[in-house]
Amino acid sequence: MRRGRYIKPLPAFVLAGLIMVYASYRLPRLLPGDFVSALYASSPVTLSADQEAQVRAYYARGEGFSRYLLNLFTLNWGYSYAFLTPISALILEALPWSLLLMGGAHVISMLVGFIAGVEAAWRRGGYVERTGVGCMTVLEGIPEIGTGVILLLVFALSLGWFPASGAETAYAVFSPLGRAWDVAQHLALPLATLVLAYFPGNFLLTRGSMVMVLREQFVETARAKGLHPARVRYAHAARNALLPMVTRFGLRIAFMVTGALVVETIYAYPGLGTLLFNAISMRDVPLIQGIVLFSSLMVLFVNLALEYVYGWIDPRVGYAA
Amino acid sequence: MNRSVVKAACVFVFLAALIFSNLPGSMASQIREIRISDSKGDWGYPNPYRHYPRGPGYVRMSWVFDTLIWKDQNGYIPALAESWSFDADRLAFTFHLNPKARWHDGRPLMPEDVVFTLDYFKKHPYRWITVDHVSRSEAIGPHTVIIYLSRPYSPFLSDIGGTMPILPKHIWGSVEDPERYNDPKAFIGSGPYLFRDFNKAKGTYLYEAFTDYYQGRPKADRLIYLRSGKPLISLSTGQVDVANIKPEMAEQLKGKGMVIIKDERGWNKKLMINHRKFPFNDKRFRQALAYAVNRLEIIDKSQRGFAAPASFGLLSIDHDMYNPGTPTYSYDPAKARTLIEALGYRSGPDGRLIKDGQPLKVELLSSNITVAGESVADRDGEVIKKQLESIGIQVDLVNMEQATTDSKVKSWSFDLAVSGHGGVSGDARILNEMISSQYGAGSVNSARYDANPELNRLLEAQMLEMDQEKRKAIVFKIQEVYAEDLPAISLYYPDSMAAYNPGKGIVWFYTKGGISKGIPISQNKMSLIR
Repeated sequence: MRRGRYIKPLPAFVLAGLIMVYASYRLPRLLPGDFVSALYASSPVTLSADQEAQVRAYYARGEGFSRYLLNLFTLNWGYSYAFLTPISALILEALPWSLLLMGGAHVISMLVGFIAGVEAAWRRGGYVERTGVGCMTVLEGIPEIGTGVILLLVFALSLGWFPASGAETAYAVFSPLGRAWDVAQHLALPLATLVLAYFPGNFLLTRGSMVMVLREQFVETARAKGLHPARVRYAHAARNALLPMVTRFGLRIAFMVTGALVVETIYAYPGLGTLLFNAISMRDVPLIQGIVLFSSLMVLFVNLALEYVYGWIDPRVGYAA
Repeated sequence: MNRSVVKAACVFVFLAALIFSNLPGSMASQIREIRISDSKGDWGYPNPYRHYPRGPGYVRMSWVFDTLIWKDQNGYIPALAESWSFDADRLAFTFHLNPKARWHDGRPLMPEDVVFTLDYFKKHPYRWITVDHVSRSEAIGPHTVIIYLSRPYSPFLSDIGGTMPILPKHIWGSVEDPERYNDPKAFIGSGPYLFRDFNKAKGTYLYEAFTDYYQGRPKADRLIYLRSGKPLISLSTGQVDVANIKPEMAEQLKGKGMVIIKDERGWNKKLMINHRKFPFNDKRFRQALAYAVNRLEIIDKSQRGFAAPASFGLLSIDHDMYNPGTPTYSYDPAKARTLIEALGYRSGPDGRLIKDGQPLKVELLSSNITVAGESVADRDGEVIKKQLESIGIQVDLVNMEQATTDSKVKSWSFDLAVSGHGGVSGDARILNEMISSQYGAGSVNSARYDANPELNRLLEAQMLEMDQEKRKAIVFKIQEVYAEDLPAISLYYPDSMAAYNPGKGIVWFYTKGGISKGIPISQNKMSLIR
């Protein structure tokens, strides 16, 4: 019975995966323009018609969906036109920085947002709760680009506390501890920008769910039993308010690949968003399809994982299934 | 006791000062590192086959690979070739190589390497240059090479001399697919810096000084490129030492002690015209557009005054071959309207021009444009739209992403498009590339205009004229005919600036005619050599 619950969603996910493989191949090819035109458009090199045909033929080698599919089955993601480097190597080079920035921002904003949301709901109607909701609603409306530029001007340009760009001081010689400190300094502003962008949503969502849960009879029962208020809040009520947060966290994680493009651009922070943006502007089709496929599969895996996590967090989901 | 200690200390200090003052200048003033930034960062690997065909890509390669000759702020200077000469009777260029020239692996650079490079580029083209006009080359003695031409080729010194990187025969001789050759040996050149690393995710490059460089040890031990889209902050906070800047930043950076340098006018913004369709295929209509566009207003509003009106003859007004007698079109909306009315258009009830009941309606494409490697938003489209509408032309302004706009221009699916390119202060070959489809069929910036046989003949003639004065006379005429026909309208030269930190002791400069084929970037390697 339980095994069936684990197996049941798999066929749909496999089908979705296959559709995504095809979409990752087809969609980048629908973009107007091609790599050769994009590469030579602003170039001091002016191609004649013959030269252009030669270059185009060079990059058209190894094209075709069947070839792409075959390569995928052999775990060959292909070569980037622009870098002439394996796509898997390019993704692996950028991924750690995306994980550090986006993963860090999600975890911090979720933890802080969840706790703040629970506490605000518990103090519903009070001055702190009303001020908190007001501030968070305003903060939720400020785009990342606004927060990013303000932080950059204040903390990088005016105060000079943090570096303005990059993920670390390029080619500086540090001890391991010194490098960690350098990376942390470079991470501070982009991380703060993302946390400020994600935190209000998490706060408001948790507070809203928690307000509903606090009306339930089992919370009254827990209180009547004389349990410590913190235990009532977190062990009894908050666990039931957790489900929407987990969904949000899962979806956000899925967009980790490209979700930080604005912040990556403002702070010249390396990551998959920048890699994809540059690939699109250069019409580097193999690299676009590689990142799109990687991103799509990530969405699938996260959703599949959430299917199982829901049942673990809230057994009612499992029974309903 | 104390007095003797003081005496001893004085003697020690004196001796130390004497010793250190006698150190060679290069050691005493050696700079640890120089940091340069731009907003994109990634420009490919720095070898001839793997750098992007853009200015910043070529510049990154130029630190590693030297050419026969080079340019500084005054013109051509020796590089691998100490001297050179041209024999018009034999159509042959003779280059005398610097005997001190070495490859990064320590081997001497020989004339056979130059001969090999020309042969290799015939087999595996390096698209920055053409070697089609070279019939053969031969090594004469240990340091001399002669390059024979099959027919005259006037841009020879710019292309083969000043742009073609020389490859080591002992490395590339066995390479069959140069684009995919990724061995560390692919970066062994004869330039002032050794390539050490390129981080694709971060867009950073590391170079180290080649201490045995034939022109002397480079001034900085390490050269680092990094990505930063905020030159004002990066320069102010000392993160970088030199960067391209927007003109508005100049005063603020000056206040922070930075030195601001300004390039000659080598990049022009222009209005592309689809001269293959009516009414744009009529010269009078194109001239009417030139009269209708108020370039000073564009400069004032979209460039905030930081630009200069361009010559309608395409070549920069700073070019040695610029023709001051090139026809010009001062802003004159009445004259523009008269010219259009001569094509059968009449004023409609709402003041708009109509013909056969159809309004005169054009689509104007606009997009970000890459200038010296930096993506710059276009604001000219809005101003041009209003100016054309004021004379009765209905304008549909369409803003798109750059590659999409380029693709539409390339396939002639447009009416008008705001575009731009550099190289107009470099070799006059740019005229052929930006006018004729024979040279510029693969370019989105080329007018690809072949409708005037006289213009075609002149363009061919200037490529074959080896006498500079005679070539200049032909180029003068080309500018006149081009400005008369107006297959595209040159609008203005935006101010191009860079800022650097003088505290590092390096004097950066812009190159006369641009680096190589006209790259408007201030990172000339001679700044770190002399």
